[in-house]
Amino acid sequence: MTVKDAVYQINDVLHRYAVEPVLRVNSLAIRQAAIVGLIGPNGSGKSTLLRLLGFIEKPRRGEILFKGRPAGPFSKAVRFRVTLLSQEPYLMRRTVFKNIAYGLELRGSRDNLRSRVAEALSWVGLPDEVFADRQWSELSGGEAQRVALAARLVLKPEVLLLDEPTASVDAVSVERIKAAALKARKEWGTTLLIASHDWQWLYEVCDEVLQLFNGQLVGPGRMNIVLGPWQARPDGYWQKVLSGGQEIVTTAPPAADAVAVVDSDRIAVADAIDSSKAGKNILKGTISRLVLEKGSRSTVTTVLVGAMPFAVRVPPRQIESLNLYPGREIDIYFSPNSVKWIHPGDKKTS
Amino acid sequence: MDFILAGFRKAIELLLHGDAETYSAIFATVRVSSYSMTVSLLAGVPLGFVLGYFRFPGRKQVRIVVDTLLSLPTVFIGLVVYAFLSQRGPLGAWGLLFTLPGIAIGQTILALPVVMALSASAVENMDRQLRITLISLGVNRRQLLFSSLWEVRHGVLAAALTAYGRVMTEVGISMMVGGNIKWHTRTMTTAIALETNKGLFAMGIALGLVLLAIAFAVNLSVSFLRKRV
Repeated sequence: MTVKDAVYQINDVLHRYAVEPVLRVNSLAIRQAAIVGLIGPNGSGKSTLLRLLGFIEKPRRGEILFKGRPAGPFSKAVRFRVTLLSQEPYLMRRTVFKNIAYGLELRGSRDNLRSRVAEALSWVGLPDEVFADRQWSELSGGEAQRVALAARLVLKPEVLLLDEPTASVDAVSVERIKAAALKARKEWGTTLLIASHDWQWLYEVCDEVLQLFNGQLVGPGRMNIVLGPWQARPDGYWQKVLSGGQEIVTTAPPAADAVAVVDSDRIAVADAIDSSKAGKNILKGTISRLVLEKGSRSTVTTVLVGAMPFAVRVPPRQIESLNLYPGREIDIYFSPNSVKWIHPGDKKTS
Repeated sequence: MDFILAGFRKAIELLLHGDAETYSAIFATVRVSSYSMTVSLLAGVPLGFVLGYFRFPGRKQVRIVVDTLLSLPTVFIGLVVYAFLSQRGPLGAWGLLFTLPGIAIGQTILALPVVMALSASAVENMDRQLRITLISLGVNRRQLLFSSLWEVRHGVLAAALTAYGRVMTEVGISMMVGGNIKWHTRTMTTAIALETNKGLFAMGIALGLVLLAIAFAVNLSVSFLRKRV
């Protein structure tokens, strides 16, 4: 993708807070009006990436281009266009109305404040007459999160960055937040970047899902992460024994504690795989979830092998022919040679 | 016990009948504390904000010094200010010894570290998410500073109240720098000390009641303000 087509272009970005880098992205482009999901375990760098893309912080190295131009914190080019809803949003010590109107006032946009705030509140399912005059301290966690989202939506941003927007809120708030976020994209063509552990939601709504691990992007595509340690086998391969006793077999890792990455596209699923033909890494598991992927129309099938979930991308025809459904026992297979590695120390895939 | 009750009765009488000497001490106190608090707040709040908000070399050392100054004895401040303002002192030419502005200088030295240290603490305890939220909503650098300060206004208000309490109730500086001159530099606290030494409790009690009333009024106003803003 050329820089011209992208709302963001990241070039050789490295960010650190202390000595160790917390994020390293060599190259990444985000299309305008795309919905991009970010998944990864805690500490994988999702929030850091969103803070950089929100121009809250400046990367220690590299550059982030916004619509082809370099930008940073307080840049005029981005100040009124990009907004971030952080994981634990802060409501200012004032009323709900003043919290939502704050961003509009900064922009000098004071016309019809009352009705615009009321409209924004309605988007997140909070009645204006009940909530507008409430103090920040009079809201539940879910209500505060929705007010914080309303304060961003009222700005009709070009880019909306959501960091775990549905974490630690009630089910009603989750649905409201999801609907309101998608409304921004539908109504104003807002580019959405969403970090979430709710990967089912992300795969359903996102045009692209990026996966982060140890501060770097893995993929493209849905990757399965298998943590070490690895043990050498007499046949020259290495293995990790999963709970339940099944073994994952790989080629030699760069280090015994290296992290294995297996692409969901490189895993096959079948009723009963012939071990004499396929060789190693035939694992018996149980299907726990089927999620339709928005872009490819494939189904991301989660197969539990012991306690370890493997995501496998399965085309629609195969879902039907194999009669896949949650609870069904199935075999998965991948070649030891298809495993890529992340060394925990150098944070580079090999 | 009777003399205390008699003192209370007489005190009410003095206040209700507008006793000139009593009111002179009240006005002197209000004037001098207004001077010192104005300067302390104007200088102390921004300095406290800088100390609490920014990370700069030597910040911890400055913080230790400011925290140490919190427990400065008023008689020591009185001594130092007296030495500087006396005719032999470096600021003797200003002619501020035994004047209300002279007392105000001492009280400012007393109040400034209180305002600075407590404002800095309020800023330090500010939620880290505030900065992220404000930048996300589109502030520029100046708006970031002012909005952050506004968010910690209750902490700053508490700092001002604490400093005001110290200024209103100190005796050492007013006595040493002001000289407790009747109709001129006699403040409520120095008047109470003097009258008590003379065995005359009525005026002391009257001034004590006024001090309590002022403290009550200030706290009431602050409580009202907290609810409003």
